[in-house]
Formats: sequence, structure tokens, C-alpha cells
Amino acid sequence: MDPARIDRDYPQGTNFQLLVAQQQLARMGVVDDAQGTQATAYRTLLSSELKFRAADLVRRDPSVIGQTVEITAPMSDDADLYYKGEITRDEDAALRRVSDRQMEWLDDLKRDGSVTSGFNTLLFTQGDSTEPELAGVLGAVVGSALMLLVTALIAIPLGVGAAVYLEEFARKGRITDLIEVNINNLAAVPSIVYGLLGLALFINFAHLPRSSPLVGGLVLALMALPTIIIATRSSLKAVPPSIREAALAMGASRTQTVFHHVLPLAMPGVMTGTIISMAHALGETAPLLLIGMVSFVPGIPGAITEPAGALPSLVYIWENASELAFHERTAAAILVLLVFMIVMNAAAILLRRRFERRW
Amino acid sequence: MKLPFFRSPDGREGGTPADPTEAPRMGGQVLPGADAPLDRRDETVLPTEPAVSDAQGEVPPTVTAPAVPVGPTKIAARDISVFYGDKQALYDVSLDIPDKTVTSFIGPSGCGKSTFLRCMNRMNDTIQGARVTGQILMDGDDINARSVDPVLLRAQVGMVFQKPNPFPKTIYENVAYGPRIHGLTSSKSEMDGIVEVSLKRAGLWDEVADRLHSAGTGLSGGQQQRLVIARAIAVNPEVILMDEPCSALDPIATAKIEELIDELREQYCIVIVTHSMAQAARVSQRTAFFHLGRLVEHGDTEEIFTNPRERRTLDYITGRFG
Ligand SMILES: Nc1ncnc2c1ncn2[C@@H]1O[C@H](COP(=O)(O)OP(=O)(O)O)[C@@H](O)[C@H]1O
Ligand SMILES: [Mg+2]
Repeated sequence: MDPARIDRDYPQGTNFQLLVAQQQLARMGVVDDAQGTQATAYRTLLSSELKFRAADLVRRDPSVIGQTVEITAPMSDDADLYYKGEITRDEDAALRRVSDRQMEWLDDLKRDGSVTSGFNTLLFTQGDSTEPELAGVLGAVVGSALMLLVTALIAIPLGVGAAVYLEEFARKGRITDLIEVNINNLAAVPSIVYGLLGLALFINFAHLPRSSPLVGGLVLALMALPTIIIATRSSLKAVPPSIREAALAMGASRTQTVFHHVLPLAMPGVMTGTIISMAHALGETAPLLLIGMVSFVPGIPGAITEPAGALPSLVYIWENASELAFHERTAAAILVLLVFMIVMNAAAILLRRRFERRW
Repeated sequence: MKLPFFRSPDGREGGTPADPTEAPRMGGQVLPGADAPLDRRDETVLPTEPAVSDAQGEVPPTVTAPAVPVGPTKIAARDISVFYGDKQALYDVSLDIPDKTVTSFIGPSGCGKSTFLRCMNRMNDTIQGARVTGQILMDGDDINARSVDPVLLRAQVGMVFQKPNPFPKTIYENVAYGPRIHGLTSSKSEMDGIVEVSLKRAGLWDEVADRLHSAGTGLSGGQQQRLVIARAIAVNPEVILMDEPCSALDPIATAKIEELIDELREQYCIVIVTHSMAQAARVSQRTAFFHLGRLVEHGDTEEIFTNPRERRTLDYITGRFG
């Protein structure tokens, strides 16, 4: 921690990576040229997380300035790929991203134990980043969760309510038939069309913030509604008429019959339909394209009106990234998405059980 | 008390009180008498003799339906016709149903017994496309009047269905449901009392007292049917309608329900639809015979079974059709 090169008032401004690079080169006895070519090359092997951690340390405890401290931080994505064997010496030196020289340094670091491999937990604690070693899924997970929350809060009450009305209260006739046909058609409309509708309705017309979980949730709610209505109606239909008769003959009103008896009995089916449509919504990517949720959003959204990503769009973005290291992250993001779904479905099964033995 | 809609016995009270309902005593159909005296192929000719032979063996039924006295008229139906869409299911039925009496409706399937029964608690209102014309007076008031809330009417007119249909809730909840929605009580202890009394009256208390909070659907068919009866009487109805309450039950359960009906007769006006002539003979004091949507004949049960006026009645009770 060279006192001459650290800005006490603004430690983030310090080029800690270069400091470390020069110190390492000095340790190896390499003499750098005037432009610091070697140090710059060495520096690129270290991630900017090193800088953040060092700056953090200095801010918390300024007395470390002038001393030698040990800091652990991730290597850069290129270094990581080299260690994993994704970049090898066999490749054309002009095309590969790690030079022979850097490879020697990396081998050296590995030999003397300065580099160890471990799980990069930044994956779970960070938002998206342009640097693969620092990019995480938390931003997308939070974005997806907020979006699903909006979807659930809108689609479930509306969908179940509409189904109950259509099935139990509405007079069957031409209008209900027309609505039924419409709902069945809407369930089959490609999701990208819902994205367009959302773009026109929520962003261009209602001026809601684009890229926000609010708009994403609204669009997915539109998409989930037909599925929820259809599932709810069919489970309401499946409730034996004898229960309805029993309640009506006891002097229960239509509303009491529905809410005391029919709906609770239909609940497991309603939940199944709802969860399926929610899981569907979670994995949906196409409509998000059109409302700006498939774009680079660093950081973690704190509210439904802030820009956010979503897990499936993160998968898409990472898979399309030019840095090779992002492709590994894509696999990780897919796993996280799957785990998210498994957790949701498990919760659904538990809830279902609960409802099934309510008495 | 003689009611205008029940025929007087025609001065034939000395007629043989033979019971044609000898053979299968519970739930079964009565077999035709082997020695029926008349050629019954010609429907237009009425029998000139008391139609039923007295040669059949007389076995006293388990529940002996005492002939009369019956209570005052509870329900008076006038010219009731029911249409399901364009199809007419019931034609101008007029019938007086006495209080504190069991009245049974008999007749072949599809003749409109259930339809008529549903008129009395306005359950036909809940069927889309069903239309009822005519008048039903309960204690002199038109139950189809605009001012009558069918929900309140159904609290006064309980109904028991063919298939036991307890709610998929606990036994306690099944019985407590009616009193709760009608606000009959607000305290837990009162509710416990209602539940206990209702279950006792339905003859189920001893069997379920220790498992009131287990599922009502876990009971046997006969117990379920008695639970449904307990549920119906928990709201203090005046009339109990039963639509073939025993047809899904075994003979022993049937016997229990029949005993129960006989006990309940003292407090309620009971109407029971049954397919079993034997059952009608055992539990009811009045019988009405329906055929093809029309009320063919009605009167004292004994009279109908021993001395029917109409050829169709005779044919039906002797098992010639149906
Ligand atoms: N919900 C209904 N919709 C249409 N027709 C019905 C309905 N219920 C009964 N019916 C018709 O009305 C007639 C009388 O039926 P029902 O009263 O059930 O006869 P029962 O109880 O004597 O066997 C039958 O022809 C039957 O098909
Ligand atoms: Mg019937």
C-alpha cells in the first residue's frame, strides 16, 4: 500500500491492480520498460474486483496505508479460462487473448500457491456486469421475482375471479360463449404479440417505465390470464353438483355456495393451473424483448419501477456475449433458473397438499 | 281431518287390509301378485272389484304406518306445471300435503317426482331453463311470491338427496353450517348444543360423538345419510323433503333411516320420494302416485295400496311396470 499512490479521500480512484502488478513483477525481478508494458499486461490478469476490495479495505481502515496486506480477489476471465484449459498454447498466439508471457506468469502464480480455485460466489451476490468474472445473477433473480410478484398479484385474482364469474354467476348465453371462444384463442396467441401489446399499452400509452418489472409483470399477467381462467373453470366444473345442491338446499346463497364450498374444493386444481402459468411466465423471454427487459442492466433492482433484467433474458444476453467466459456463466444462469422453477413447483405441491386436507 | 285433495275412502273401509308389499321388505320392488284377478291389458277399463287380492301373506312391517290422524295441510300445490326448456315435465299437479305426516311420492322413473319435490323448496330455480307455473302455498303463503327469499325458504324446507352428499368437512362443520349461515347462534356452546341435539335426533350421536372433528365423508353411506338429515334439521325446518334417501343404502341402513323418518314425523312435515313400494307402505301415511308427469292418484297409504282407484296405480304397485 504505497502511501504516495493512494488517494486517501477517494480510494476507489487508485489503480490497485497496477500496484499489485508492479509489486508482483518486482518480486519476480522483471524490469519493466518506461511505458509499463509488462505491468499493464500483468494487470489485465487481475479483475477489477481486486481494486474494489482494496479500496474498501483502505476506506475502512486507513492505517493499512504504507503496510503490506494480503487481498484475495478473482482473477480476470481470461486468466480463469486459461486455468480451466479453455485457452491453450496450441492456439494461434495472435488470436488468443492470453500471451505466452502472461501464461508463464499465471503458471508461476499457480505454482507458488498464490492462486487457488474456488467457487466464485459473486455469481449469487452481483448484478450483471460487462466483466464475466464479476457478473452475477442476483439482479436477474430479483428482477424475475419482482416481475412474477406483479404477475401473480394481477393475474391470479383477476383470472380466478373471471372464471368464477363466468362459471358460477353469469347467465350462459351468446355473450358467455363468445367470451369463452375468445379466452381459448387468447391462450394460443404467441407470446411476442403480448409483448407488442404491452409495449403499445403500458409504455407508449400509459408511460410506465420501460425495462421495469412492473411492465414485465403486467405483460406476463395478460399472457397468464387465459391459462388461469381455463384451468380454474375446468376445476370448478369438476366439483360434483351434489355439493352445490347440498349447499343450496341448506339455504346457502349462490355466493355462499361458491365461496364456502365450490371454490375451496376446486382450489387444488386452481393452484395447479396457476402455478403452471406462473412457471410459464417465469421462463418467458419473447415478450420481454419488446419492453426492454432484454438489455444490459447492471445492479440489483430495488423496486418494480426500476430497470431490471430477468433470468431468461439474462441467459439470452450472456449466451450472445462476445467474451468466452460468459458462456460458462450462461450454464450457471440456466441452472439457477431451473432451481428457481423447482422451488416454485415444490412450493406449489406443498400448498396443494395443504388445501387438499383442509378438514 | 279430511282434506279436500285426499279422497275419502269411498265407504269401502271394510275392504281387506291386505298388504301387497309382502316379499322384499326393504328397498326392493314388490313383485306382482301371481293371482291378480283381472285382465289388466285394457287400460281403459277400470277394475270393478277391489283390485288387490287378499290371498297374500300378511307380514307386519318393521315400521307400521299408522293410518291417520294426519295434521293440517302444510303445503298446498295448485296446478303446478314444470318445463325444462320446451319440454314439459309436470302437468297441472294439485296436491295437499299434511303436516306431521309422512307423504310418499311413488311412480316410475322420470315421472316427475323429484321435479315436484324440488318445487317445494324452489330448487328448480337453480336449474337453468327450468320454469314453474302454478301456485304453492305453505301455511297459506305463496312460496313463489316476489317477497319470498328462496334462501330463507330453503332454511324452512330441508332436503335430503338420493346420494348422501355431506360437505367434505368435519362432521361438526356439516351440522353447524346451516345454523352458522342463518345466524341462528353466535356462541360456541350454543352451536355445540345444536350440533349435539341434531345428531341425536338423527340417531347418529352415539356413533360419532367421539369423532365430531373427523371428516363427514369418512362415514358409511347410511351414516352419511343420517348426517345429512342431521344437517337439515339443525336449522329447525318445518318441512323435510327426501328424494329417494335410501336407494343408495343397504337394507340395515335403510331400516335405520326408516325408523328415523317415523320418529321425525312427530315434529315435521315429511315428503319422501321412493322407488320401493314396501318403503312407502312402511313409512308413509299418505301416498301420491305419479305417472308421465301427472298426479294419477293420492290418498291414505293403506287405501292406495289396498284399494287403488286407477288401473295404472294398481299395475304399478303390483310391479306390472316401472
Ligand atoms: N335438470 C333437468 N333438465 C332437463 N330435464 C330434466 C331435468 N330434471 C329432470 N328432467 C326431466 O324431467 C322429467 C322428470 O324427471 P324427474 O323429476 O327427475 O323424475 P323422477 O324423479 O320421477 O324419476 C324426466 O323426463 C327428466 O328427463
Ligand atoms: Mg328422481
